[in-house]
Amino acid sequence: MRIVAVLAIGGLALSAAACGDKPSSNNGSSGNGKKYKACMVTDVGGIDDKSFNTSAWQGLQDAKAANGNIEIKYSASKAETDYQPNLNALVTEKCDLILAVGGLMTDATKAAAAANPAQKFAIIDSNIPAANVYSMQFNTAQAGFLAGYLAAGSSKSGKVATWGGLKIPPVTIFMDGFAEGVAHYNKVKSKTVAVLGWDNKSQEGLFAGSFTDQNKGKQLAEQLVAQGADVIMPVAGGAGLGTASAAQASGGKTSVIWVDADGCKSAAQYCDVFMTTVVKNIAGAVKDAVVAGADGKALTGAFTGVLGNNGVSLAPYNKFDSKVPAELKTEIDALKKDIVDGKIKIESPAQPK
Amino acid sequence: MTTVAQFWNRNRIAGAVYVLLGLLAVLYFGVSNPAKNDVTLRLTADTSLTFGARPVIIVLGLVTVAVGVALLAVLTARSHFAWTAGVALGALVLAFLFWGTSLAKTLHTIPVEALLYGTLIAATPLIFGALAGVLCERSGVVNINIEGQLLVGAFAGALVGTMTKSVWAGLIAAGVCGALMAALLAVFAIKYLVDQVVLGVVLNVLAFGITGVIYERLMQPNAAEYNNAGQFKPWEVPGLSDIPLLGPVLFRHNLFVYLALALVAAITFALFYTRWGLRTRAVGEHPTAADTLGIKVRLVRYRNTIMGGFVAGLGGAMLTIGAGVTFNKEMTAGKGFIALAALIFGRWSPVGAMLAALLFGFADAMQQFLSSVISPVPSQFLQMAPYLATLFAVAGLVGKVRAPAADGKPYVKG
Repeated sequence: MRIVAVLAIGGLALSAAACGDKPSSNNGSSGNGKKYKACMVTDVGGIDDKSFNTSAWQGLQDAKAANGNIEIKYSASKAETDYQPNLNALVTEKCDLILAVGGLMTDATKAAAAANPAQKFAIIDSNIPAANVYSMQFNTAQAGFLAGYLAAGSSKSGKVATWGGLKIPPVTIFMDGFAEGVAHYNKVKSKTVAVLGWDNKSQEGLFAGSFTDQNKGKQLAEQLVAQGADVIMPVAGGAGLGTASAAQASGGKTSVIWVDADGCKSAAQYCDVFMTTVVKNIAGAVKDAVVAGADGKALTGAFTGVLGNNGVSLAPYNKFDSKVPAELKTEIDALKKDIVDGKIKIESPAQPK
Repeated sequence: MTTVAQFWNRNRIAGAVYVLLGLLAVLYFGVSNPAKNDVTLRLTADTSLTFGARPVIIVLGLVTVAVGVALLAVLTARSHFAWTAGVALGALVLAFLFWGTSLAKTLHTIPVEALLYGTLIAATPLIFGALAGVLCERSGVVNINIEGQLLVGAFAGALVGTMTKSVWAGLIAAGVCGALMAALLAVFAIKYLVDQVVLGVVLNVLAFGITGVIYERLMQPNAAEYNNAGQFKPWEVPGLSDIPLLGPVLFRHNLFVYLALALVAAITFALFYTRWGLRTRAVGEHPTAADTLGIKVRLVRYRNTIMGGFVAGLGGAMLTIGAGVTFNKEMTAGKGFIALAALIFGRWSPVGAMLAALLFGFADAMQQFLSSVISPVPSQFLQMAPYLATLFAVAGLVGKVRAPAADGKPYVKG
């Protein structure tokens, strides 16, 4: 009798758990009629990752604000095995555009696009050459180049540094650009500013092995500062906040170049140490794509965010505005123009083709 | 057969390995891919030592070979194993460090001060964790739950520290939460006789779950009110902090490093020179005998397990209010398990555990340094190094260790 009861309760618990396991979803609006429905599938980081999922969702919200006829929703992936079911569920829901966030979703999106040729898809940080997929990629090496030049020009010790979360192309592309920018500064000014933490020729460098471990980010910063670095660019999401914390404790001796979204907005408590941010404008690209789709324009091919189309950029200097010499600012503006015009070629192997 | 087995005792096997590794180091680091640039050891801000790396590396490799030969030929007594291992492997590690630095892309200067400082900072949470293990396991309760106790400590430190605007309150809350976690461990292990390894793992999952949910629901959305604790400010020990090299490495920390070192001393003394320590060890080795002498076995175990949890909780707080960073989901990232390895490598003694933790910390600081100057070793391999060192130390060097005899065995009065 007792065993039966235990089994019954266990069964109940299991079925309850199974119910709870459904991919959670959220309707951004509950419109009816002929609205343009843009849906997205998040990566495992979730909607609050303060990185590309948050940015992509922000893009959808901006699109909705710009055009009231747009309806938005997202499905959260808790594990990589959720990608395929989440995409399929959205196909069934007849979304007009399904946005896959992150290069990890490449295979799942490719399969879903092949199985549903009439359905429109879009993907961030990947390139899928299919007629019904709109690929969005970002050449952050271009903005990283400007950041490297700025760092080299601002360093008093002649040593600047960068470190990454993991050695993957969306990370190393920032570091490549940074190192190339420093090298360009050295060439133009006949200086010998050294880059710690990344060598773009051998593609080797310093990595925390984590995008969340702030303690590691702090330890790495302390090591780099001990070796003389006075400008550090962490490319590691939340783990980089540890470096910002160490810089704040240094009382102005060390400054930080942030990445992804303007640090003075996304991590405002450290605004006084952020020299600038290498911005990857995912929200803008997503918004433009969705608004264009809602206007009935065909979304095919690929979008590459570059300095020229503001897909990547250098954020305002914020509190460093008065500290960065006017001459250096002018040089950086000129460099930006040279990169846009193709006079300066960036060599990072991680660049979108 | 027996004579072969007798000849190849542990010292001789180690000796043969050292000869081989030493020769490899000399041939590879000194001849086939030789160190080129001079290496500078920066000892203090204005004292440094520059030397040609190649001859030094060759000498270090030969030291390892010589130790190996000595072990093979004369030093066959067991007592020679530990110090020879230290000399031989220490020389090898230095040879590797100098070689990597000499061939690095950017700088050829080793900031000794920062390297040792980094070692101590990386080791401190592990020391707390391993001490928690010492307290529990010496009384016979296996503590796989160190990871969870560190995590709730880090969590409570950040949450309470922010809400009360006092890092001290955060510190106390961290200890108390660690102790509560340990109390759960104690009740299930001692009263309900649940398998302690399984129990520890389950409690770790519980700690991930609770802290994860509260983090996502409360601390992440309202970071300013709930996840924004201050930091314990560094306190420079007057006088001592001015000693060259040692001062900056040892005496310019905040509370946590001093507390960890003090606890190592205090627990060593208490464990081996007080009545409490004798009782703890008796209960861990032979609870039946202890019971016969009138020691309350279960009470001792409850007390020690909860004390261990308190210590681990304090260690967890170092990760948040000790470092001045916010709490993050699963931020302990396996430190509790490395602490467990340090406990075993240190043979369940506080000083041994501390040395093991320092070894791990050094491996970590060294890999960060070598990666940052772009040494010829691939960064993925370097990132593995601290874990490899731990694995190698526990499996290869410790040999046969003896846990407290009653470790993990619940005591049932019979």
